[in-house]
Amino acid sequence: MSVSIFVLDVDEFHPLVVHSKEMPGVIVSGPLKGYWRIESSSKITFDRKELGFKPAVWYGSLTGGYVGKILEFSRDTLIIDEAI
Amino acid sequence: MNNITSFPDASINGVHHTARPTWKLRETVEFYRDKLGLPLVHAITAKGWPEGHPDFLHFFFDSGNGSTIAFFYYLGTEQPDNVKPFNSHFSRATHTAWKVNQLEELSNWKKRLEAVGIPLRYETRHEVIESIYFSDPNGYPLEITYQLRPFSEKDINDAQLTLDTAMELEDLMLSGSGNDSFADIEDLWTRKGKSLLHEFEDMV
Repeated sequence: MSVSIFVLDVDEFHPLVVHSKEMPGVIVSGPLKGYWRIESSSKITFDRKELGFKPAVWYGSLTGGYVGKILEFSRDTLIIDEAI
Repeated sequence: MNNITSFPDASINGVHHTARPTWKLRETVEFYRDKLGLPLVHAITAKGWPEGHPDFLHFFFDSGNGSTIAFFYYLGTEQPDNVKPFNSHFSRATHTAWKVNQLEELSNWKKRLEAVGIPLRYETRHEVIESIYFSDPNGYPLEITYQLRPFSEKDINDAQLTLDTAMELEDLMLSGSGNDSFADIEDLWTRKGKSLLHEFEDMV
């Protein structure tokens, strides 16, 4: 099972979509019913500073939901891997 | 509670007042009227009723757009411990957030708070609002906020899905039907994710 992250199609979360489109091996589809889907066959990593997120938005990055397992969600790093 | 279409129509048009008790009359008036500049627009004083109710003042400051913030001052009473604000997320969750219509107004308010000696607790850019936070002399938390964009249909639909999912998890937790708990936000995010995954796969 791959990793899927769903991102609400609104301005404040758009950097997640933009950055994911540049990542090798990552497929971005949508928006469908208001959400983008970020799909990866292996673990996916985000850097808060690269996204330009302030902490309050960063810690809400996954509010759209995901399928996978969080390996790390710290102040600057988010890593999600496939669910076992 | 899904079928509410048969309920009588009733609408609300903004905030008239929110109210809280104070045991610091002068400090409260000077804070809201003089330091923040909110006009004192109404006060009623009354004999306590029904029997046993203390005599009281009830007074209102204009907080713009037809809204007021109001206080009760109960004569001859002492503040019970269980209504004292305390330094905790749970206590600060009950707060008043006032709106400004321009982002620059937040800067103006920061300057004003500094000029009148009100400590700024912190400032934060959230997902849809940018806010500054401070407290009144009673310890009641106050916020002034600017909304960065209007709410959209997407926000409304997402809020519905989020709360539906969260209420399912709460129901499971309260039912005591097994190991289901609702202690981590990951429980919500993964359940919501599975729901959206089905929507995406159904469209393929």
